[in-house]
Amino acid sequence: MFAHAALCTASLVMLYPLLWMLASSFRDNADIFTSLSLIPAKFDLAAYARGWRGLHTGFGRFFINSTVISLLAVIGNLLSCSLAAFAVTRLKFRGRDLCFAMMLGTMMIPYQVTLIPQYILFLHLDWVGTILPLVVPKFLAVDAFFIFLMVQFFRGIPKELDEAAVMDGCSAWRIYWNIMLPLSLPVLGTVGVFTFIFAWDDFFGPLIYLTDVEQFTVQLGLRGFLDAGGTSDWAAMFAMAVLTLVPVLLLFVFFQRSLIQGIATTGLK
Amino acid sequence: MRLNSLTRRGLLAASAALAGTSSAHAEAARLRLYWWGATDRAERTNKTSALYMQQHPDIAIVGETVGWGDYWTRLATQAAGRNLPDLIQMDYGYIYEYARRKALLPLDGFVGKQLDLSGFTPSSIEGGKVDGKIYGISLGLNSTSLVYDREAFAKFGIGPLEWPVTWAEFARRAAAFTKAANKPGYFASSDAGGSGPALDVWLAERGKLMFTADGKFGGDAADMSEWFSYWQDMRVAGGCVPPDAQALDKADIDSSMLTLGKAAVAWANSNQLVGYQALNKAKLDLAMYPAGAPGTKSGQYLKPSQLMSLASTTKSPDEAAKLLSFFVADVEAGKILSVERGIPGSKAVRTAIDPNLDPLGKRMSSYIAEISDRVRDLPPPPPKGAGEVLAMLLRTNETVGFKRATTADAAKSFVREVGEILARA
Amino acid sequence: MMRPAAGHWFLLPWFLGFFGLTLGPALASLVLSFTAYDLIEPPRWVGVANYVRIVTADSKLAESVRITLLYVVLSVPFKLGFALAVAMVLNRGIAGLSVYRALFYLPSLLGASVAVAVLWRQVFSGDGLLHQALLLVGIHSPSFVSDPDYAIYTLVALSVWQFGSPMIIFLAGLRQIPRDVYEAASLDGARRFQQFWRITLPLLTPVLFFNLVVQTIDAFKAFTPAFIISGGTGGPINSTLFYTLYLYQEAFGYFRMGYAAALAWLLVLAIAAVTATAFLTARRWVHYEA
Repeated sequence: MFAHAALCTASLVMLYPLLWMLASSFRDNADIFTSLSLIPAKFDLAAYARGWRGLHTGFGRFFINSTVISLLAVIGNLLSCSLAAFAVTRLKFRGRDLCFAMMLGTMMIPYQVTLIPQYILFLHLDWVGTILPLVVPKFLAVDAFFIFLMVQFFRGIPKELDEAAVMDGCSAWRIYWNIMLPLSLPVLGTVGVFTFIFAWDDFFGPLIYLTDVEQFTVQLGLRGFLDAGGTSDWAAMFAMAVLTLVPVLLLFVFFQRSLIQGIATTGLK
Repeated sequence: MRLNSLTRRGLLAASAALAGTSSAHAEAARLRLYWWGATDRAERTNKTSALYMQQHPDIAIVGETVGWGDYWTRLATQAAGRNLPDLIQMDYGYIYEYARRKALLPLDGFVGKQLDLSGFTPSSIEGGKVDGKIYGISLGLNSTSLVYDREAFAKFGIGPLEWPVTWAEFARRAAAFTKAANKPGYFASSDAGGSGPALDVWLAERGKLMFTADGKFGGDAADMSEWFSYWQDMRVAGGCVPPDAQALDKADIDSSMLTLGKAAVAWANSNQLVGYQALNKAKLDLAMYPAGAPGTKSGQYLKPSQLMSLASTTKSPDEAAKLLSFFVADVEAGKILSVERGIPGSKAVRTAIDPNLDPLGKRMSSYIAEISDRVRDLPPPPPKGAGEVLAMLLRTNETVGFKRATTADAAKSFVREVGEILARA
Repeated sequence: MMRPAAGHWFLLPWFLGFFGLTLGPALASLVLSFTAYDLIEPPRWVGVANYVRIVTADSKLAESVRITLLYVVLSVPFKLGFALAVAMVLNRGIAGLSVYRALFYLPSLLGASVAVAVLWRQVFSGDGLLHQALLLVGIHSPSFVSDPDYAIYTLVALSVWQFGSPMIIFLAGLRQIPRDVYEAASLDGARRFQQFWRITLPLLTPVLFFNLVVQTIDAFKAFTPAFIISGGTGGPINSTLFYTLYLYQEAFGYFRMGYAAALAWLLVLAIAAVTATAFLTARRWVHYEA
């Protein structure tokens, strides 16, 4: 009971920003920066209408673009990172530890200084202005964060399992596909959800690589309402910000049902 | 590599489907147009582009737009990749950086041919010159301006800020305003001790330049000590907000003391009136920055609020120059763009749009008209490193405000560090 | 054992990505660190001049290093402790778990959006929510977010508040602990606290290790919180000038990409040293396999 009460209180602190954004989305622009109240004076949906029209392209288009990019990123990361993590944890080959060290090393370089060389690289590949720079790297396991995460979970799966499988004559592919992946559903789910959210929230990549407004993601669309030194439509920004939270929140609740619960009861043997 | 090219082809198809556009007919030129701004500007700019494409079916214009804060990172990246858009909206504070590094195309050769500047006064062209050549055409004139709650000033018996209000008089009135308003956390003015434009005006009214023609800082430690003391006295007298309020201001309209309801005066630019009004309930008005000795000129000057430049790497310079001309000089385009970016430099455009301006637009226009005789000439372009000097100024003013340094020490260290910055740049 | 060659096939995507996309730009930035590069004109070789200046003549850097270390030391333990505690509570199979989980992840979803900058101002400024709440109990608090003595702590608070990602990872780790381990333990009558120390925590060490390493690296590289909350200045008076924010200002604000690259590579060295230490000690406290 105590835990429940504590959770409820904590939830309020967590929920506050959403309620506040919601309240702000109903306000006039002139009220947003001076009011702390969570209850707007009126329920005016005008900002939603303005926001949905977006940068003359329509916010719906941004939703589609973001969904496509995020889903491709999920597929890419799940495949490429799990392959790399499997190799690093379960296979023996020369230079394995060096490879793993390199993976971790790539996490340490601040992107601010690799941005320009990377941009020039993608320019030479003629990928700038397409979604390729945002998607292709995911299929090539550049997110060391996820490799490392999977590595930690794979290491927890008893080695006797695949050793037995090797005895039975299973190939490495079979072990990867039929043993490791099914046993790793919780972490795969985590990687999938995180990848989706990171891609959905990514601002910097789309900012640099997408050019046409037709290709814009939701995050670029949101910033499109704001001009620091000029005229901004904050209410519309908040309205659309609330909407962009909906898919990821739903994903969370859905992810819970389908993945975690089924696994927990099975456990590992 | 096969995997690579396979995914690539598939994804190319996907992204083409995403874009949902097909450009089938022959194009004489495909021009990329890049600007910062929000929804309203995007609508006006896109409409203008559409009108141009309607008149020139062989030209395709691709608009690229992001907000101010992200604009320069992206532009620098594109510059490094030699992939600059053909037409670039430029800021007065950045044009030197890009022109001197040869990223922009000198426009002198186009004037009178592709580029029609017949309606421009020489001084409005001057603002786009760097080291003698034209690198940008003004998209709108502005000047520094106080944006303030005029009615509050009247209500508390302080009277409107009509030119000329000297610096001393401004401090006196500000303190009186705060006292009369008598509301905790509410002050007359924001703290402009860290504002480059404010210091620039103040120095000019003392007969000095912030940046001299040979790229030096024009003030000395005595000036700076007096400047920091002026604002320290303001704080003590309650004329401006305390330092921990001012530190919330990120030079954005949404975080300005005026918008946050902590002050009645913002130190801004005249074309920002619309942006401020959108986030404020009180009816706002424009007024000049404080004045120097009676009878002297204001330290303000008319400058381009924004310019349009061409990239030195553009493949279609002639077509780009024609489109640029359309944006700055065409009457029909001017009617769409209106004064959203500032007061148009072309007289013909101004005459055409003036009757249809809304009250805020009229006010911006009349402000420019009424200050024209009072302002000084355009100062020499700032040296490389100027941006870093402005950041230093903001920081030094904070050290005084938060009582980490006396005004005299702050002034000394400021002048020393400015010397180092400019020597390094 | 499996055929050795298989390892290379599994690593093929990563090889392509590493050698095709990651390594080149990384090496390029290393080379740039020995040049003066203003992003527009071609880089000019200056030897070790950038590094010499960093070590001898950069007073701003010392401040920035101090702030970054303070941030790492405070934000990582608090964030992980919080994440683990919440994950433990949620793992007990409470009703409405999915809703709680989503709620607790909500702050992380907002990430580095501009909304957070405005929110933080409204909560932590001089007349903000926290100030008003403290007034109720008679405390007159400063404007945390804009006071040079406190601003860094609001960034730590932001980091801790966004504990969602390590929490989810802890939860996934807890879920992977087989039930029968606990069943065996409860037969022994192990108390709940002992259960945590003797069973849960050791089995959770791989995940704990992961979170520790990743969060530490992230904290060293922290950029966006300071960028959005200080508006890119690192103010007031450099009190939130994170290392990477300083680096970014040098690169994109003042057109000194060469110098920024040198700063970046020194940071890489520092992070690599810390990470290597973590891996060396890990042998003693990280237990793999259930």
